[in-house]
Amino acid sequence: MISELLYIISKYGPLLLEGLKTTFIITLISYFIGFVGGISIAITRTFLHKALKVFAHIYVELFRGTPMLVQLFFVYYALPEMGIRFDPILSSIIAIGLNSAAYQSEYIRSALSSIPYAEIEAAYSIGLTRFGAMLYIALPQAVRIAIPTLTNEAIYLFKYSSIAYFVTAPELMYMGKLVATQTFLYVEVYTVLAIIYVIFSIVLSGIARYIEKKLQIPGYIV
Amino acid sequence: MRDKLLIVEDLWKFIDGKPILRGVAFEINEGETKVILGPSGAGKSTLLRCINLLVMPDKGKIIFDGEDILGKRDIHSVRSKIGFVFQHFNLFSHMTALENVMFGLIKVKKMSKNEAEKKAKGALAAVGITEELWDKYPAQLSGGQQQRVAIARALAMEPKLILFDEPTSALDPELIWEVLNVMERLAKARMTMIVVTHEIGFAMRVADEVMFLDNGVILEKGAPEQVILNPRNERVKRFMDRMKYVYSIGKGNVY
Repeated sequence: MISELLYIISKYGPLLLEGLKTTFIITLISYFIGFVGGISIAITRTFLHKALKVFAHIYVELFRGTPMLVQLFFVYYALPEMGIRFDPILSSIIAIGLNSAAYQSEYIRSALSSIPYAEIEAAYSIGLTRFGAMLYIALPQAVRIAIPTLTNEAIYLFKYSSIAYFVTAPELMYMGKLVATQTFLYVEVYTVLAIIYVIFSIVLSGIARYIEKKLQIPGYIV
Repeated sequence: MRDKLLIVEDLWKFIDGKPILRGVAFEINEGETKVILGPSGAGKSTLLRCINLLVMPDKGKIIFDGEDILGKRDIHSVRSKIGFVFQHFNLFSHMTALENVMFGLIKVKKMSKNEAEKKAKGALAAVGITEELWDKYPAQLSGGQQQRVAIARALAMEPKLILFDEPTSALDPELIWEVLNVMERLAKARMTMIVVTHEIGFAMRVADEVMFLDNGVILEKGAPEQVILNPRNERVKRFMDRMKYVYSIGKGNVY
């Protein structure tokens, strides 16, 4: 078993690394889309106009209520019928990013609602607008509170970006499958993949802990 | 008429159908300190919040600095001219003391960072917050220090009027002194202030006029000696007797 593992790593290591790189690209960009989208949706639902709120709410329910795989297939197979075509990697990024935005918006929204209204009121009292109070007082504190759940989401995306395999995006899972069918060493190949996933998940949570420490407010317990 | 900074006329506020303010009316001159006394639930906080539009009154008129502010669309610029000091300080917990004071100067008054920093340091110094505390976060400061930073935050905006909503009610006696001392200095410097408090000693020393609010109505107003020591109204008299007992002033009759 060990010799097979080493064989896979030495012979197919570069190929798997290539896949890992794509996995990282999909994860990072879709996470970023999800983060920015999530913040916008959370702000809309907490602070903005009624009609926009309804729209944002529908978005969240829609993307939370359907499987990510269905969303990916929709982007990759259904949109081309309407003349909108993306390559596999971009399709994955779009589908995963839009899905993640729905989830991240809920994490940030719950953090936003935990910010004491007293501080928002204090911001109003010195002449800030609703938007200003939200942007400078509520949001910076909400993001800090949401870091653990946002980390969770990053690790989740890192692993679940593997669904990009279904639309032939050459990410880690796809490369693994390729190696497995070539060598017939299914158990060994998937063991290597599992080890890679777990190592980088741990690295991710380490980075998140570092960020959390960096952003911590002295004397403040969150 | 000219030096009337604030005129409140027939102010009404209903919350969930219940009248909280019932036709409150008073005026305040520039440089005057007015103290509002009264039991909890009298509508004191609501009255203060109506004046800087944190709460919108249902009926009545508020004329501030010659302008009817209830008709104004731009309530933010009105608020920036009226300071507000809260019972629980309400400092921004993710900002240092200095940043708390600079924040409004930069975001509302659009000052440059350098200018705002200079001004904020001046305001902090004026309330006795010394340099080693400037970079501390609210959670690292004592209640008295937090409240003084909050006063500096209001003061730095150069408001024409500062509203204090029970600024010492959440503090230990020694820290109460710290905060009242700063407020007394402000009053002496002719800052226009409306103070809701239970500190009748402070009211006696500093107030130009005391108003007693109960059930959303001003029951009595006048010089502090009169309202606190010789109230005419029975309800006010009962309240003051109990206050005098708590604060050991005179020979209070306890009912």
